[in-house]
Amino acid sequence: MTTKKLLSLQLKRLLSSVAEHGHQHLGQIEADLIQTNFLLAEAIRKLNAGFMAMHTSICLQQEIVTMLLTETADDGRYAARLDAVSAEMGAHVNAAVTSLQFEDMTSQLIGRALQRIAGLDKVLETLGAGSSGMRAETGIEDIVARLSDVNRLLEQQSGKLESDLWKAVCQTHMESGDIELF
Amino acid sequence: MTKTILAVDDSGSLRQMVVFSLKAAGYQVTEAVDGQDGLEKAKQRTFDLVLTDQNMPRMDGLALIRALRKLSNYQGVPILMLTTESSDDMKAKGRAAGANGWLVKPFDPQRLTEVVKKVIG
Repeated sequence: MTTKKLLSLQLKRLLSSVAEHGHQHLGQIEADLIQTNFLLAEAIRKLNAGFMAMHTSICLQQEIVTMLLTETADDGRYAARLDAVSAEMGAHVNAAVTSLQFEDMTSQLIGRALQRIAGLDKVLETLGAGSSGMRAETGIEDIVARLSDVNRLLEQQSGKLESDLWKAVCQTHMESGDIELF
Repeated sequence: MTKTILAVDDSGSLRQMVVFSLKAAGYQVTEAVDGQDGLEKAKQRTFDLVLTDQNMPRMDGLALIRALRKLSNYQGVPILMLTTESSDDMKAKGRAAGANGWLVKPFDPQRLTEVVKKVIG
């Protein structure tokens, strides 16, 4: 193959590699951020509802306690109502605890996105390093060799980035997950 | 006698939720911040149950389980994974490593308590 053709080939490989890997990684970052947004929105919505419900239960508990203190006769109704309201409170607290776990999942997704951004930054660094020392007089063979090195490094970096970033969080809702005993 | 649980997770907020849920049910819970910390704490005393996350720095959940199963006093101790991972492939790896169960996050405190009660009483 002629040097001119090799140059053409390496340049084409570089341009398409940068475009393809860049597109792929940015797409994944976008997907992780969208998923983070979904989880956050649902967690906040549920926490809002939970706190309102807890407030209602606390007010009701207070009403019942006030009635208990002011009434002279108690046929056990109030105690039963207090038990029922306590059980309701317990359910609201459980729901809040489930929703609060959004922090664990969203921080994993954001961490993944940040790692990917750092990886892409490294790719750009490699491109920059590939051009260092190049001058107008640089021979075509030298340019072909540099492009070949850069292409090889970019393939390695992109592949490593993909394999290092296992998608551990697939949840798109804040419902409690499955339980399986082996 | 109060049953003891070792809760291993690199997320502080998650550990807080686990401790809150299981303490309310009467269990004594010790926290560990990752697999390595969990292994060191497990070597200091034998817990009745180990509850571990998978993706953690220094030592992940599967590595922790394999290390615990090599200890003579942890041969019969139930170990449950509590993780965001839900693939059949990961569950199979967990089972092969020596896990006794798989709980997918987020957990509901009541369901967590029920499964812990089922496993260790």
